[in-house]
Amino acid sequence: MKGYEVIEKLKPLITNRDIIVSSSGNISREVFHILEKPHVYLRGSLGLQIAVGLGIAIEEKNRKIIVILGDGSFLMGMGSIITSSYYKPDNMKILILDNGKYFTTGGQKTVSSALNFPKFLESIKGSFKISKIASKNNINNDLKRFLEADGFSILHLKIDSGKKDLSNIPWHPVEIKDRVLKKLTLD
Amino acid sequence: MNELINAKNFLDFLEENNFSTITGVPCSYFKDLLIYLDNGNNQTKIKHVFATREDEALGIASGVAFTKHRAVVYLQNSGLGNIGDALTSLAQLYKLPILLLISYRGLLPDKDFPEHSIMGEVTEDFLAALKVPYWILEYENWKQTINEAINKMQELQTPVAILIKKGVLST
Repeated sequence: MKGYEVIEKLKPLITNRDIIVSSSGNISREVFHILEKPHVYLRGSLGLQIAVGLGIAIEEKNRKIIVILGDGSFLMGMGSIITSSYYKPDNMKILILDNGKYFTTGGQKTVSSALNFPKFLESIKGSFKISKIASKNNINNDLKRFLEADGFSILHLKIDSGKKDLSNIPWHPVEIKDRVLKKLTLD
Repeated sequence: MNELINAKNFLDFLEENNFSTITGVPCSYFKDLLIYLDNGNNQTKIKHVFATREDEALGIASGVAFTKHRAVVYLQNSGLGNIGDALTSLAQLYKLPILLLISYRGLLPDKDFPEHSIMGEVTEDFLAALKVPYWILEYENWKQTINEAINKMQELQTPVAILIKKGVLST
């Protein structure tokens, strides 16, 4: 499966109280265009998506925070999954979409294949930690179990490269922040 | 020796100013403050999150700022080199108000610590280049200095910095 196909499958599973933090490039664009708005669409700061999600999760305990990032961003900020696992907020969910590439910048390789994800996830604290190849037969069930699990959850999916032809996010980052703040204030 | 700002008074003041979380990478210049923060018997409501890097701390503080709460980040000035992107493509870009407490290493008391000397020389230029307003904290009028910084942070909706020399928060 491709990354955007996984994100399409999230559509019925995300409630309007949930907050997604998405990583720069294609993933933010896909989350913006495919799912209900608004969410925290990060444009830059590669490597900091999990950190931002952790900051939101510790302040908004009654809301699910879902961080969606690629392997490039995960590897760049790898300390943050350890920090999150140390605090393991019950409302925090981390979805890693791993195509082994910096796909947004042209498909250059990352080093993610050197990491044994099942063993790595087994070694850190968390309630739900699964690593698998994304498949059309299982994706609905996998995403549901991941999002509905009690406690701090991590789902690592090996995906194929491929993107939809989507336009740039039209909102300025300040508008993104203002809309997220409004959403958090209203409900 | 100059008088130190009391750790409890300092944290109480941050709490009164609605900071809910503090996160960062330690410096011996903040030792008393960090000991007080992690003392289970203290009364502060401020949550403390240990970060692995300075840019991670700024990322966590940015997340806090997306929720209308406020966070403080503490770091050594050596860590300034690590937060350039977190500032420019996250906290400043999205206009997220954050208070940075930065130890001012590399001055005279650090003459035997050459690892701090180059960053010590350029710290203020570095902050100016990244357009981060900054103040130097002294024992005298410390609340007024922090108030000025917080007012600027609110006005500009952006990170502002307090530089802290040796002997202000810890000996």
